[in-house]
Amino acid sequence: MAKIKFTLNNKQVEIEKSPTARLLDILREDFDFTGVKEGCGEGECGACAVLINDQIVNSCIVPLGTVEGKNIVTIEGFSKTKRHEVLRNAFEEEGAVQCGFCTPGMLIASESLLNKNPHPTDEEIKIGLSGNLCRCTGYNMIIKAVKSASKKGDGLW
Amino acid sequence: MKNLTPKTLKETLILLNEGDYKILAGGTDLMIQNRAWSNTLPKFNKDILLVFNLPELKYITLEDDCLHIGSTMTLEELLYHKLTPKLLVEAIKIMASPAIRNMATLGGNIGNASPAGDSLPVLYILNAIVVIESIERTRELPIEDLIIGPGKKTIQKNEIIKEIKIPMSNFTSIRFDKVGGRKADAISKISFAGVAKVKNNTIQDFRVSFGAVGPTVVRNKELEANVIGLTVDDMKVNIQEILNEFGNFIRPIDDQRSNKEYRKTVAINLLKSFILSL
Amino acid sequence: MKDISSSVRKVDSIIKMSGVAQYVDDIKISGMLYAKTVRSTKVKAIIKNIIIPELPSGYHTVDHSDIPGKNVVSIIFDDMPVFAEKEVKYYGEPIMLVVGEDKDVITDIISNIEIEYQEQTPVFEKIKSAINYHFVKGDSNKAFKNAKKIIKYDYETGYQEQLYIEPQGMIGEIENNKVTLTGSIQCPYYVKNAVKVVLDANDDEVRVKQAVVGGAFGGKEEFPSLMACELAVALRKIKKPIKLIYEREEDMQVTTKRHPAWIHMEAAINEFNEIDGLTAKAAIDAGASIGLSGVVLARALIASTGAYTIENIEVDGDVFLTNTVPNGAFRGFGAPQMLFAVEMFIHHIAKELDIDPLELRLKYLAKQGDATSTRGKFRDPIIMNDMIKKAMEMSDYKNKVKAYEEEGTYKGIGMSWFLHGCGFTGSGEADHIKALVKLEKGADDKVTILIAAVDMGQGIQTTMKKIVSHILNIPLDQIIYNKPDTDLVPDSGPTVASRTIMIVGGLVARAAKQLKEKWEDGKQIVVSERYKQPEYIKWDEDNFIGDAYPAYSWGVNIVEVEVCPVTYQVTLVGIWSVYDVGKAIDERIVMGQADGGILQGVGYGYLEVMRNENGRIVHKNVTDYIIPTTGDTPPMETFLIDNPYPLGPYGAKGAGELTLVGGAPAVALAIENAINKKVTRIPVTPEYIMELMKNG
Ligand SMILES: Cc1cc2nc3c(=O)[nH]c(=O)nc-3n(C[C@H](O)[C@H](O)[C@H](O)COP(=O)(O)OP(=O)(O)OC[C@H]3O[C@@H](n4cnc5c(N)ncnc54)[C@H](O)[C@@H]3O)c2cc1C
Ligand code: FES
Ligand code: FES
Repeated sequence: MAKIKFTLNNKQVEIEKSPTARLLDILREDFDFTGVKEGCGEGECGACAVLINDQIVNSCIVPLGTVEGKNIVTIEGFSKTKRHEVLRNAFEEEGAVQCGFCTPGMLIASESLLNKNPHPTDEEIKIGLSGNLCRCTGYNMIIKAVKSASKKGDGLW
Repeated sequence: MKNLTPKTLKETLILLNEGDYKILAGGTDLMIQNRAWSNTLPKFNKDILLVFNLPELKYITLEDDCLHIGSTMTLEELLYHKLTPKLLVEAIKIMASPAIRNMATLGGNIGNASPAGDSLPVLYILNAIVVIESIERTRELPIEDLIIGPGKKTIQKNEIIKEIKIPMSNFTSIRFDKVGGRKADAISKISFAGVAKVKNNTIQDFRVSFGAVGPTVVRNKELEANVIGLTVDDMKVNIQEILNEFGNFIRPIDDQRSNKEYRKTVAINLLKSFILSL
Repeated sequence: MKDISSSVRKVDSIIKMSGVAQYVDDIKISGMLYAKTVRSTKVKAIIKNIIIPELPSGYHTVDHSDIPGKNVVSIIFDDMPVFAEKEVKYYGEPIMLVVGEDKDVITDIISNIEIEYQEQTPVFEKIKSAINYHFVKGDSNKAFKNAKKIIKYDYETGYQEQLYIEPQGMIGEIENNKVTLTGSIQCPYYVKNAVKVVLDANDDEVRVKQAVVGGAFGGKEEFPSLMACELAVALRKIKKPIKLIYEREEDMQVTTKRHPAWIHMEAAINEFNEIDGLTAKAAIDAGASIGLSGVVLARALIASTGAYTIENIEVDGDVFLTNTVPNGAFRGFGAPQMLFAVEMFIHHIAKELDIDPLELRLKYLAKQGDATSTRGKFRDPIIMNDMIKKAMEMSDYKNKVKAYEEEGTYKGIGMSWFLHGCGFTGSGEADHIKALVKLEKGADDKVTILIAAVDMGQGIQTTMKKIVSHILNIPLDQIIYNKPDTDLVPDSGPTVASRTIMIVGGLVARAAKQLKEKWEDGKQIVVSERYKQPEYIKWDEDNFIGDAYPAYSWGVNIVEVEVCPVTYQVTLVGIWSVYDVGKAIDERIVMGQADGGILQGVGYGYLEVMRNENGRIVHKNVTDYIIPTTGDTPPMETFLIDNPYPLGPYGAKGAGELTLVGGAPAVALAIENAINKKVTRIPVTPEYIMELMKNG
């Protein structure tokens, strides 16, 4: 057990847990951020993606102890931002959401990508989202949505 | 369980010296290998030391013609760093996914000692030296002497991988090929790394290595030495013989990802394609 | 008013994008316990004895002895027990649940349960036929007797895993003596009916609700009934809320998959190089229980001439039982296996006869008025000629296919033609389902759609509302369509077989028209409609004679690839599709189905490897079972051609499965074109390509 402090969706939080606990479990069970999904538990699908210091990680394999002092944003926190609004509109307009289980992770991956590269090419989008599996959409509309968000949200990233 | 998050390297070394700990860096191998039912703790059979955030292990510097990479540098940090050798960048580019690369460390890829670890073929042919530290001493080992089998390393339980040293060299050709089950985010069925220096149509340096075709990365310095001094044309004329010689050392296995015939054939094809590109 | 096809924003996107949509694992009930399944570690064995350690208070085991009713999961073929009793027939078969509050304690209990088995010799070969179907059209015997040449090929298809990104899950509680289950499910009434049998319960003692479903693809058609039955027994015993969520590896090892299939094709060629007769003999591997396999086989067999009309055919097929995980529903339902064989075979015939495949195919392409494989009739217009033309233009097929035949280009292009029967096979709709839908208008003039259809991503919530909105001329937000709850909605049938828009949507449209006629502002009105089979549709279930489906959707897929001569890896270069789904209720939604379906179909054809070795699934996690990522996805272009079906709402037919079934043959043909070798099995992996290029 250890006391671990970090920022979660813009709030300072502290929790006493084993440092090897999966960040995913802490977010879903202790903080009730169930927008973070578990699709595989093996780092492969990206459904559990969150941002740590603006970068995407898969929370199912992040040990809690490594987030000490860091800034974590889940889909719940991200959804309150202007950038999410731009991405959200683009995803809706392109039809990029089907069952929605991959969607929080896809949006986090898009945010992380646009953070690094505000004007990605199709190829760069594909690389940026390559760790997020979607079984419904065939990705086509997701790729288009990210592209369109990067245009419409010019200056935001 | 005493799972600890030491704040300094010194503290880490002291702990390592006193107890029996497993070092956990990014956790992208360990957290999965030990995963358990959701919302229960991963089932480690040892106490854990989290070293991911140790400031003393996060650096990349160029000194004395040698690149020094701190062991907890993440793959993503290395991918975007201007000092990272181009060949290593080539390998990292097609490793895992951005989310994994943000956590996965270079030290962890070595520490995991998987024959499919994608940085390894590159580190082998760049003659990387692994710097290992304990409370008592610092020692240096060529990477091929550190990794001796799948998951097996000649590293003591009180030691930590501190850094990876890569001597700077110049090549006229570099190549990294990864053959995975798909275009992105896949474990290698075979990987190949090659570097060469050709001057006046003569081979001055030639190194190749293969991943996932044996218990460890396959590199054969003797065979490499045999081609040094040959002209590129000679090499191409004798290519079949060279391929056969290397082929003798490639003894892959069947597993869920591929089969031995495929692995062997493609490993040789990749070598051939590299030689023909010189 | 806008054309119904013009797209609207999906009604459920916002909650999904902000992370507030509640999937089953997101639901928490206070005092909730967790359940985990104890499974067989043997492939085939007699259970001699089970020793359960002393349980801490608050912890329970639940097994067959706790079942008040019948120990069977009723689906179509009631041959799967809820909990194994005396024997186990596959690795991972459920034996009992362990239930309690603390997951670590549960894990500990499970590791201390000792099960003594007496192992028996398992069957993995195709020797135990459980179902055989056989039918003929015309006189194929004569055709084969008079044949100038007989061409024979064998085709083989592997497993495919649905790999919905949300694993299977169910949560339940007892509410006033009623067992209430909420799950990630496609078919609320399948679940309810199965649970009633197991609990020996009355209709008002079981309630089933849908949680937001994170993908299904058929995988949540019949399988959730098993989990629901287990959980219901536990709920009755323990009387506390319980959650049962599968972990990914568990899900991949024990849930149903697409049946591996072996298909033998023979063609009788006459002196004019015509296909005079055709025989198809199929075998599908059901795994350890029959379940839906007979229905899967039927759909496969009926598709045995694909998009073509062949006068004389003989079709035969078996469902084989083996000691492996039971297989079941998966988008396409038997058709993908058969359409792969048909499309390859017609190309292979053309090659053997040295005829241009396109010419041969066009000659046999089905036309309106032709007899179907089961002597039914293609009653509605078939516009495949236009569709093929369009697809070939979009992709520059003709030029490419010729250019790529040259040795050494390692490029290829392949085109598949296909159809998909909409709705249940045969008389299922009329005899078994008898769908009922209701619309309820409140005093506030809001209209509630009461149906059991589940939105699992395919957009039914949006399209159903659109239908009602268009007919009643009221805005979408005046219409309510909640996730189905069997206490509130009538049984409009399962969400399967591309039937939802055409059949259920058709009924909803009729109900809406009824409501329109009766409309009075401020008044409560309820209307309902029940399915009636059109008179002219006749089906003889025993002999496979008649109209197997009321309507067919049609499609053309073209896939272009490059094969790397060094690594034999395949790169998808482009995908072009043209579909006739009657009329799209929402164009963008159909396009979404198209993109997702084709990538799943193409993945089945070249990428997705799953094997079992000695009865165990080898590719049992997402690392080893490879599905396409963004990196594998090529540019895709889809075109829809309207061809309204008179009985569908606004002319709509089925679209969900159609978009998958042609993917595998298209990519396999593209690879064939690239390497100039005959491909006879899928997935066409690099390992297989190497084998073909070296030997074949
Ligand atoms: C989805 C996914 C995809 C992946 N794809 C790839 C891929 O394409 N290519 C590839 O090569 N790998 C891949 N991996 C594996 C993994 O990401 C890499 O091996 C990574 O580099 C491991 O680093 P880590 O810091 O996470 O290691 P950890 O899991 O923290 O540790 C791995 C091992 O190294 C030891 N170790 C770590 N740091 C040290 C140290 N400083 N001193 C001594 N021992 C140490 C640990 O004790 C442990 O035995 C993938 C993993 C996942 C989950
Ligand atoms: S649940 Fe974390 S990557 Fe799949
Ligand atoms: S929308 Fe269902 S997995 Fe992506």
